[in-house]
Amino acid sequence: MEKKEVQERVKKVVANVLKMDPEEIFEDANFIFDLGADSMQSLELVAAFEEEFDIEMDEDKALSVQTVADAVEFISSYVS
Amino acid sequence: MKKDFKANLDKIFYPDSVAVVGTNKVVGTVPHDILKNILDADFNGVVYPVSPRERFVAGIKAYKYVTDIPDPVDLAIIVFPSSVVHLALEQCGQKGIKAVIIISAGFKEVGGEGIEREKRVKAIADKYGMSIIGPNCLGVINTDARSKINASFARRMPEEGTIAFLSQSGALCTAVLDYAYAKHIGFSKFISFGNKADVTEIDLLYYLKDDPKTKVILMYLEEVKDGPGLMKAAREVIKSGKPVLILKSGRTSEGASAAASHTGSMAGSDEVCDAAFRQAGIIRCQNVDEMFNIAIAFAYQPIPKSNRVAIITNAGGPGVLTTDAAIHDGLELAKFSDETTAILKKNLPATANIKNPVDVIGDARADRYSVALTAAFKDPAVDGVFVILTPQSMTEIDLIAREIAKVAHHYNKPVYSSFMGEADVAQGIDVLQRNKIPHYTLPESMCRAFATVYHFSQNQKEVPKPAPVFQDVDDARVEEIIQEVKNAGKHYLTEDLSDELLKAYGLPIVESVLASTEDEAVQKAESLGYPVVMKVVSDEIVHKSEAGGVILNIRSDQEVKAAYKTIFKNAKTYDTHAKVKGVLIEQMIPEGEEVILGLNRDNSFGPVLMFGLGGIYVEVFKDVSFRVAPLQTSDAEHMIEETRSARILHGVRGHAPRDLDKIVECILRLSQLAVNHPYIQELDINPLIVRDKGKGAFVADARIMIKHE
Repeated sequence: MEKKEVQERVKKVVANVLKMDPEEIFEDANFIFDLGADSMQSLELVAAFEEEFDIEMDEDKALSVQTVADAVEFISSYVS
Repeated sequence: MKKDFKANLDKIFYPDSVAVVGTNKVVGTVPHDILKNILDADFNGVVYPVSPRERFVAGIKAYKYVTDIPDPVDLAIIVFPSSVVHLALEQCGQKGIKAVIIISAGFKEVGGEGIEREKRVKAIADKYGMSIIGPNCLGVINTDARSKINASFARRMPEEGTIAFLSQSGALCTAVLDYAYAKHIGFSKFISFGNKADVTEIDLLYYLKDDPKTKVILMYLEEVKDGPGLMKAAREVIKSGKPVLILKSGRTSEGASAAASHTGSMAGSDEVCDAAFRQAGIIRCQNVDEMFNIAIAFAYQPIPKSNRVAIITNAGGPGVLTTDAAIHDGLELAKFSDETTAILKKNLPATANIKNPVDVIGDARADRYSVALTAAFKDPAVDGVFVILTPQSMTEIDLIAREIAKVAHHYNKPVYSSFMGEADVAQGIDVLQRNKIPHYTLPESMCRAFATVYHFSQNQKEVPKPAPVFQDVDDARVEEIIQEVKNAGKHYLTEDLSDELLKAYGLPIVESVLASTEDEAVQKAESLGYPVVMKVVSDEIVHKSEAGGVILNIRSDQEVKAAYKTIFKNAKTYDTHAKVKGVLIEQMIPEGEEVILGLNRDNSFGPVLMFGLGGIYVEVFKDVSFRVAPLQTSDAEHMIEETRSARILHGVRGHAPRDLDKIVECILRLSQLAVNHPYIQELDINPLIVRDKGKGAFVADARIMIKHE
């Protein structure tokens, strides 16, 4: 899967879970500091990514991912 | 960037504007409740919620980032999760904010990654010249009407008062606030400083020294990182007239068992902490109750001019209990003037006791208390009054409490109270507490508080005697000896080197010579003159007596030969690998009292000196005292006086007093040695034989251990 596609789908998932406009989600955005995700939403994000990409991620590692860009990199390692 | 601590702390306690960074709308969470507490306390300034997603919180416009706030911000309170605190802090730095409170947990206290997070936070603070309270703290409260800020997640804002409370534990803060609320105890400043990554208890002490709203400083400490710094700050605060009370947890003797010397084994971290606090004038408290018992005495009432008190009671038993406790704590019962006695006689029933303690009798109503209290206050021989009440069927509990407050208001003498009981006296106690009359459940606590305040005022008057700087010491020789031992890869000095080192510092060493053959031993013993002592010299044998390597009172050539053989045989039996260099022959020391002097190094406080009754008794009776070097002359004198054995040294049962001046001199020389030669890790002089006054003392045995790094 192209990284560009992963990026688009990650933004879509984040926008859905955090109920935001995808336009507001910039690449370097930090899930907590910039997007205001709380701990429950962080768990929801991990679950939503797994569903979107049909993958199973290491939960501890997934939760330590801080930014949208890092999430794209992390998910790419599963789908490529 | 250079920090201006005073200006930064001013912005923490007196900000014109505050940003709560990372707040949200979820009631019952720390990020929300902090903002709510600031609003509820009627903060005298502007509040800016900063939240990544909310447009407003608590009806106030919220900003996405602190850098979006159009106006200047004095104080930022960060409540984000620890993983992003550095991002928020960086923006605070960019915004030019110099004062920050980090409430968030998940730093040093969790270890691992948390330690790195804390280092990162500290680095950002230093880069921008910011001062940070926390992380991992409850927050800060300032009751001063000029600010009225409750920047904490405590459940309530305390009353305004003159007590400052600082705590390393946030949880204890909430308990203390609740405790104080019930007793109407107010605070000037209330500070939970958490991990003290940047602002420490020492910075806060200096700040509170100059805070006109604070009269008394209380602190709960879990660890002392910079002992000498804490002592210096406390001394300055105390010198300014403000008492410092510390409740220090961790009363364990960890580490003591691993120590190699007597001093090391006696100088547990807690004993050292105790001694250091005493040396600095800090009042160490055992529990929260005791801390507030003493604090309210300082905060509410004038300092007593003397230790002479009057006791007024409506019951005999409690009067006697109070008298016992007062005498035990070094107070005196004032002897009333004839005028006072006449007033009491005229106004109290014939069955009343008009002498001190005054018993106004069980059926006393408020008028009798009023008469007795007024008479006691007016008597020049009385410098403090204790009022005791027991609830009897006719006792006007509330009225008496009001009367005490009313009368006390007219006199500049302290009055403390003890309304004994619980349920019936509760309302009276409430009246006393609201009127700032210190109340104590137990008369013993009341006397202890009075005695503590009195001793504090006495200590304030004491002019410390500075220590002389000994010029006759040979620092170069000491360094040479240390280097020699280090080069040989050893830790302990042999006895000859120990003696030489102590001699280089002017400590009284007995004349001694080394002999490596039996014949040489005889010859040297003869030249010293009998009686002599012979001791084994071997790097491998540290505890010479235990190895049978010390023989005393040798009086002839034959005895020297026999002792030489015995010592060699014993040494080999004790340790087959021991290399015996020979024997040390010393003059037999004349009669005297055995004391121990020691030096050890404490992780928090640095070099610590010990004094006590010597020989084998030091470990049995543990009658020892400690002080942190460098010592003043008065410290060395107090060190001796606070041991029970001081009486022996002063001369008991017709025995002449011992040479205390020489002990003081030896302690001060060791203090100088400890400060100038940090590679000396531990040192025991055990015993120092102290002769009669004016006749000096001798080091009979010493053990010195050096450290390599």
